[in-house]
Amino acid sequence: MTDVLIVVALLLVAGAATAAVLNRDPVRQALVLSFLGLALALLFTFLQAPDVALSQLAVGSAVTPLMILLTVRKVRRRSGNDHGADEPAGRER
Amino acid sequence: MSTSDGWLAAALVPLLALGPVLWRIAHGPAKDRLVGQNLVSLLAGLALLLAAQGFGRPSYTDVALVVSVLGPTGTLIYARFLDVLPDSRLVKWTALIGVPATVLPLCVATGPGRAMAKLLLVGALLIAGSVVTSARGGDGGTTA
Repeated sequence: MTDVLIVVALLLVAGAATAAVLNRDPVRQALVLSFLGLALALLFTFLQAPDVALSQLAVGSAVTPLMILLTVRKVRRRSGNDHGADEPAGRER
Repeated sequence: MSTSDGWLAAALVPLLALGPVLWRIAHGPAKDRLVGQNLVSLLAGLALLLAAQGFGRPSYTDVALVVSVLGPTGTLIYARFLDVLPDSRLVKWTALIGVPATVLPLCVATGPGRAMAKLLLVGALLIAGSVVTSARGGDGGTTA
């Protein structure tokens, strides 16, 4: 039964990583990366390594997407709205 | 042995439900992404709780505890950056039905004690986080 769980978690990780690569919008990539972090934490727990899962949760599902979002916001603010094709309904703050 | 296999098979249910959610996050409109992120942390917390019981290691619930704290916090942070916090009936009812349906059998299986108090805390955090981030009472409005 554990093997089935590990295989499903592996498939989720592979799917999330592929989706993160194939997406072009950085904001959406941040959310897919957060999903990837959670799926990796699940995989590590099923592989009986909850300590690795804890650090993966903090880094992969919280810090990395947050840094990407902060970077996107800063870049957008600096370059103005001369390339609005990235996000159709984007609001400038 | 068969009971632990049963718990692991139960953990497979929220895990399989993550597949369509991944599709919505990767391809859905902007509103669905946040709903998806909210739902993912909820389902992952449930799967971790069930897997902890299935492996016979109560200390594995710590990971679920961290998920239940970080998940709604992350959703609120994303809502702050993306300027949208959609209220979703799906997340609310998944929390209100799925969390008691998971936590109460786990409490019966573990028996009274410190482990049960931790389980109840994780369940309460999951429900509270999902309700706060999904049910604003408004009609799908945006936040300021």
